[in-house]
Amino acid sequence: MLKFIVRRIFWTIPVLLVVIFLTFTMMRQIGGNPFRHSERAVPEAVQRNLERKFHVDKPWYTQYAYYVKGVATLDLGPSLVLRGQTVNDIVKEHFPKSIELGVYAFLFALVVGVPLGMIAALKHNTSVDYGAMFFSNVFHAVPSFLVATLLIYYIALKGGALPTSGWSTWEHKIMPSIALGFAPMALFARLVRGTMLETLQQDYVRTARAKGLRYRRVVGLHVLRNSLIPVVTAAGPLLGYIITGSFVIELIFNIPGIGQYYVTAVNARDYSVVMGLTVLLSVIVIVANLVVDILYGILDPRTRDARA
Amino acid sequence: MRNKIRWPGLALLVSSLALAAGGCGGDDEAAGTGATTEGGGGAPAAEQVITVNWGTEPPSLDPGLATDTTSANILLNIMDPLVRLDKDLKPVPGAAESFETSEDGLTVTFKLRDDLKWTNGDPVTAQDFIYAWKRTVSPELGADYAYQFYGIVGAQEYNSCDPKKDKCAALADKMGVKALDDKTLEIKLTTPQPWFLQQMAHHSFLAVNKKAVDQFGDKWTEAANMVSNGPFKLAKWQHNSAIDLVKDPNWRDAASVKLTRVNGRMISDGVTAVQAFEAGETDVDAQPPPPDEIARLKETPEYVQYPSLGTYYYGFNVKNISDVKQRRAMSLAIPRQSIIDNVSQGGQLPANGFTPKGMPGFDTINPASKWSPADADVEQAKQLMSEVANPKKAITLYINDSPGHRDIAVAIQAAWSQLGIKTTIKQQEFAQFLEFLGPPPNQSVDVYRLGWIGDYVDAINFLELWTCESGNNNTNYCNKDYDAKIEEARKTPDNDARYALYAEAEDILFGDNGDMPVIPIYFYTFPGLEKLSVKDTFEFNLLSQVDLTKVVVAG
Repeated sequence: MLKFIVRRIFWTIPVLLVVIFLTFTMMRQIGGNPFRHSERAVPEAVQRNLERKFHVDKPWYTQYAYYVKGVATLDLGPSLVLRGQTVNDIVKEHFPKSIELGVYAFLFALVVGVPLGMIAALKHNTSVDYGAMFFSNVFHAVPSFLVATLLIYYIALKGGALPTSGWSTWEHKIMPSIALGFAPMALFARLVRGTMLETLQQDYVRTARAKGLRYRRVVGLHVLRNSLIPVVTAAGPLLGYIITGSFVIELIFNIPGIGQYYVTAVNARDYSVVMGLTVLLSVIVIVANLVVDILYGILDPRTRDARA
Repeated sequence: MRNKIRWPGLALLVSSLALAAGGCGGDDEAAGTGATTEGGGGAPAAEQVITVNWGTEPPSLDPGLATDTTSANILLNIMDPLVRLDKDLKPVPGAAESFETSEDGLTVTFKLRDDLKWTNGDPVTAQDFIYAWKRTVSPELGADYAYQFYGIVGAQEYNSCDPKKDKCAALADKMGVKALDDKTLEIKLTTPQPWFLQQMAHHSFLAVNKKAVDQFGDKWTEAANMVSNGPFKLAKWQHNSAIDLVKDPNWRDAASVKLTRVNGRMISDGVTAVQAFEAGETDVDAQPPPPDEIARLKETPEYVQYPSLGTYYYGFNVKNISDVKQRRAMSLAIPRQSIIDNVSQGGQLPANGFTPKGMPGFDTINPASKWSPADADVEQAKQLMSEVANPKKAITLYINDSPGHRDIAVAIQAAWSQLGIKTTIKQQEFAQFLEFLGPPPNQSVDVYRLGWIGDYVDAINFLELWTCESGNNNTNYCNKDYDAKIEEARKTPDNDARYALYAEAEDILFGDNGDMPVIPIYFYTFPGLEKLSVKDTFEFNLLSQVDLTKVVVAG
């Protein structure tokens, strides 16, 4: 197990080098001048000073080396556009907010989705089942921005119960978390229902029941545990996705998270910010997948044995 | 990666959906508040606190590095410029109690007030201005607006020096700024620049406290570190979230400042900003509402619309559309007023010249071009088109990809089709678009869209665009007579005489025999939302600057 983890961690290095290289090349390919923010052309001397200051006048391999060194030393350099701020500042200030939002959304999805799926499976083919599945199918299909817009309209504007946007008090955090958590919630519910139904048909469940174990214990201990494997499979990448892909929600609710920065940075050709954030997000996805593999081993000893 | 690329598209969808949802509720609500407050009269409210949505994070609060209007608006309220602009954009004393221009126009002297103080207790001196200006011009800082100083002797040379090769310090010393004493600042100009005083109201000419910069480096503009000298102080700056100002009771004229606190928000999405305003979370929404929302908001008493010094235009590549008659015909065929009323909807003004309305001397300068009427003259356009020896009937129009620009382009495409011109509209992402256009001008372009917003208050800021060497002239247009007029105007300190020269320059472009290298379409306006309690006193001037010292919250 340990060997497996070490090997996986070691493998992230070439992956990151490729990520840096691809981001670097693609950013340069799309053209555009990071030092021009408006219709106004930049005077030659000014352009030269800026290029010199941010090392953009160096050959590409030198610039690539700067980025690699930056990533290795965890110093991602200054933003080309937000003068006075470094990429590290931006990550430090805004990334925690994205994580917070992602975690709340994820918890909402888990806490509501898993029980919903369980109930649907246990009440198989009843109106409760149909109701729960209709509900989760609809919400799995509805995009988060629509949920967000409806929440704002009915709860904040019509109801006046919660603020429309911002990210300071707990009241600000309810609607974005729900909006972002809705689709994964529905996904969890369907996954749990599906595997749980399958598990309930297994021989060992029947055996356990035949041995005289109480139904609640069988479900709680054996069925649920085995039904969670697909949830975990989906959860890892989903957590990464929720944290990194919350841009629309961040925009609608005006949350100062990292997603907003990512998109603006691409539009502004803020090379160092794009680079820094891409590497950061790659690391998150890599780590999320690693955690999933480890969790597999805990939930299902067979996979652990196979790899050890 | 695929998801990332899709987001901007989604964002647009978001806006339109939100519009659909938000379209029903607002009207009666706003009308309700209107009825109660309007009768109330002018007694100030007990609590003089407002919340403003500035729309974006100010990218920098360093006077040398700031380039955008949000940063400028914060800076001009927490700092004290030498000169402020009054309602008519005339320079009035600010931190300088008086100013004087020498007979030959080459020397400008400012006398500072005695009661100027930094928030750290230091007096504000002439040296603080010199320090700030040389810092901005220095090649090491890499300031975008260093070129604002090029009118000062030696500034361009210093800015162009390469620290690795040249002796930059010597060039810094040669820059034409000098402190005659602590309170007297003398500036030597390369040529007489009649607009220099107005230019002093620009935020790049603010003083900077050297101690703060030395101590905190790049971080000197954070709320905890910032040393300022204006009517307000920076109380809190949470990046991308909040920027709060509080009144500085020690400022020289604090007695006249009514607001005690200005909470700033940075809601960039137009729809979200409107929602926050309608929910009462902001008092002023300085972020222009999305075009689709304007029709509804216009009916509310809280809707405001500010004229601004800006011109929206289409530029010709005069090498590709070489016959002036075709250029005139294409301009004549555009229904400007109808585009404003039905497409852009922001109450913009149809443009019949390049210098925008509101610019000092506008009445003299404006050519009232007959080739650029408010309503299309298709008959005359067709007539002109038929006289073109070798008309170009298939053209490519380049715009940047935003829905507003596309809608206008489609309207103009339809107008040109009446002349038998087949227009292909090509859209590009903004940064790519700018690089694509040039300089040097891209020869595959036939027509392109751009706009120009003035930095300071003189028509030269607009008209110098169309000189042969201008870096912003992507039309290939080059007329030595025009350049000569602009050159002469630069040397003419007398306002009326200079305006007359500007008028002649405009005439070369848009007069009856004008060359029409560009089609003026409209002069910009900026729509916004203001609660009735501040609507009377919260005013943006033509440069989109607001003077918060004048704002009073009515009770």
